[in-house]
Amino acid sequence: MLHSKNTNLKTWVTSGELWIWLNAAAVGISITAVGGLLGLIAVRGLAHFWPADVAAIHYESASGVAAYALGEVVETESLLLDQYRSATGDTDDFPADVEVIERSLIKTGNRRVDPPDFQWIYSHRIASIGYPDEAAVFERMEWGNAYGVLEKVLFDGSVVAEADTAWTEFHMRLERVETLREAIARIERGEFNTINYALEQIRIERRRLELDTTLTDAARERSEAALRSQTDALTVRYTLAETDLAALIEDLQRDAIEITISTGATLTIPFADVVRGWQPNRMSVIAKLKHYFFSVWLFLTDDPREANTEGGILPAIFGTVLMVLLMSVLVTPLGVVAAVYLREYARQGAFVQLIRIAVNNLAGVPSIVYGVFGLGFFVYFLGGNLDALFFEAALPAPTFGTPGLVWASLTLALLTVPVVIVSTEEGLTRIPRSIREGSLALGATKAETLFKVVLPVASPSIFTGVILAVARAAGEVAPLMLVGVVKLAPTLPLDGNFPYLHLERKFMHLGFHIYDVGFQSPNVDAARPLVYATALLLVLLIVGLNLTAIMLRTRLEDRYRGVES
Amino acid sequence: MKTTMTVKNKVADTQMAMPAPTGDSAEEPSLLVDDLCLYYGQQAALIDVNMAIPRREVTAFIGPSGCGKSTLLRCFNRMNDFIDGVTTTGHIYLEGHDIFAPEVDPAQLRRRVGMVFQRPNPFPKSIYENVAYGLRIQGAPPKTELDDTVEWALRSAALWDEVKDRLKESALGLSGGQQQRLVIARAVAVRPSVLLLDEPASALDPISTLKIEELIHLLKAEYTIVIVTHNMQQAARVSDNTAFMYLGKLIEFGRTQSVFTNPTEKQTEDYITGRYG
Repeated sequence: MLHSKNTNLKTWVTSGELWIWLNAAAVGISITAVGGLLGLIAVRGLAHFWPADVAAIHYESASGVAAYALGEVVETESLLLDQYRSATGDTDDFPADVEVIERSLIKTGNRRVDPPDFQWIYSHRIASIGYPDEAAVFERMEWGNAYGVLEKVLFDGSVVAEADTAWTEFHMRLERVETLREAIARIERGEFNTINYALEQIRIERRRLELDTTLTDAARERSEAALRSQTDALTVRYTLAETDLAALIEDLQRDAIEITISTGATLTIPFADVVRGWQPNRMSVIAKLKHYFFSVWLFLTDDPREANTEGGILPAIFGTVLMVLLMSVLVTPLGVVAAVYLREYARQGAFVQLIRIAVNNLAGVPSIVYGVFGLGFFVYFLGGNLDALFFEAALPAPTFGTPGLVWASLTLALLTVPVVIVSTEEGLTRIPRSIREGSLALGATKAETLFKVVLPVASPSIFTGVILAVARAAGEVAPLMLVGVVKLAPTLPLDGNFPYLHLERKFMHLGFHIYDVGFQSPNVDAARPLVYATALLLVLLIVGLNLTAIMLRTRLEDRYRGVES
Repeated sequence: MKTTMTVKNKVADTQMAMPAPTGDSAEEPSLLVDDLCLYYGQQAALIDVNMAIPRREVTAFIGPSGCGKSTLLRCFNRMNDFIDGVTTTGHIYLEGHDIFAPEVDPAQLRRRVGMVFQRPNPFPKSIYENVAYGLRIQGAPPKTELDDTVEWALRSAALWDEVKDRLKESALGLSGGQQQRLVIARAVAVRPSVLLLDEPASALDPISTLKIEELIHLLKAEYTIVIVTHNMQQAARVSDNTAFMYLGKLIEFGRTQSVFTNPTEKQTEDYITGRYG
């Protein structure tokens, strides 16, 4: 009786074994979920850059006409026969054993010339699939990829290379075009940007002179004259740059390629529109790998094109990192000072406890509410008043009275300050009294003790707070949409014009970029891989920021190990 | 409170009321406690304590836990200021000056009255920086002078030979006994006139304890030392004078030899012979 099955089960449960199994299961499920999520994002995002083979497909269209498509197979899926019938209205008879129909999504590109650029082709309609060596992909500045066969390379309208030699000529000319393009970018981003910035400063200066009533006429005249001569110099510079630019653009327009696309038509693409061209069916695995990593590199370092669905995401990476760094710089002193006051100076009592509860609750306020607060208080109130006080000359165009980098950073700093306060307070509480007394007994004041002993020892805890703050802030999107993030920022917030860091500028952000590309894009199929790639990058960026902070914290912890005993 | 009385009179008065240990007490006492009462809120922790602690001698405070000996010790450098709800009445004179006088800066006072705590509490800094800490607080002297003072302080604490090759290493890497001597060096470095030791050896092993006791012997040539201890043998070994406290009152104060061999009070005798405590 003592060894009945029932008793065994009971002993097993009371031994705690059951809970260990449940815990292990919960951990296992969590890890699988996180791994699966990251895996999905990584696979979908990274596959986009692989130069897929170009398939030449002969098939029968829905209307029964023989058709031909040239493009990349993006994905293949199965449909139940019923689904297929209701989707296509096809009433054809299928053999009795057919239950599912396969179809493939083909990216045929050539947008605007041969729509649509993505199409579904049903397997049973396909007559043949081939992978011709000569099939080529051309990444264009506008309208996405072009698929076709390179026929001729033209210069000033006359053919310079054909057939076999065309590709050698193409690569050569592309190199020339790239140097031209770089020169153009230098003028547009460098020279034009500088001149425009200087002109804007002069305009503001002139307005300031108008508003200044204390000036004598003579002084006003002198300043005006100085500004005029500056303007003239800039105008000359601008004209020169413009001439250079016009020459470069004209030069750029001279080369073109002619390709035959799947419809049999000839498409002429000026080199100015070509980013890259390649023949994936001819490439070895190594060549493809090279191409792959170069594509990833371009994605990371290029500006976005085509309503963000093409090109790179450098401004978004830059904006995210800069915003998070600025946020950390703002939130750390704010949180630490508040925590020090609450823990070290304020008289502990019901009121301080109330404040503490309020601070904790602040962490639970929905982030969009912070966005609204940031817009109302920081942007309109603080920014508006700053403009009225210091940037009167630029009005009615707002300088700080409009969403911008500094307001976004401040809003996020406010959003994350409770985290920093709570962990700093915890750190301060954990510091043994004996350490403080040791310092005080040597004649240090409370403040000296705080700065020389207490805060250094509490620094790992402060860092923990900042790490949590960064993790939360980097992924936050909703409030940013109200206080500074835009779809496309014309200039980075950091450039060569004094004062170099432009806190009032709007910026791009990876999180908002994902939303924008994924849901506001005119071309969903083309944008989808970029959503995954950007999401992966955002996750990696946050992991990277956190790892850096964790490494710093570990170094601090090593230094102060053994204090808390 | 008799606040109008002058300090000199007070000395005489106190010596009458509570016979100070005879020794070289011709000198003015280093610390003079006059009618000291201390309350934690409403609760009295020290009641009418009067005593004169002689210069350059070791005075031990003994008594059962909670008798107020640590509280009294912490009055000498006003460490009780940091505890909420503490009020004191009466006076303590350090070399004739009232330490509770409003013009006294407690931070300045603590530079003259050093303190060593029960658990070694080195700062998480290098050995060198630990010793230099108090000097840097007072305004950093030139580097060479600082180096000399650090070496002198470490020698005073009989630690120099053990750490001279690793001054830049963290003080937390030292053993408990070394840490305690480092803390003593740190206190000595600012050249106080009084050293308060609050059970300095209670967290240490016997060998380290012995070293600390030897050190106390060496240091008393220069400093007035007040030590709180639970260990009766230790009090007998290291001190010149012993004060026995019980329930916030000073029961007996005299030369160590006479307190231990011939206590005048019954309570002292009971405690020393181990009948309670």
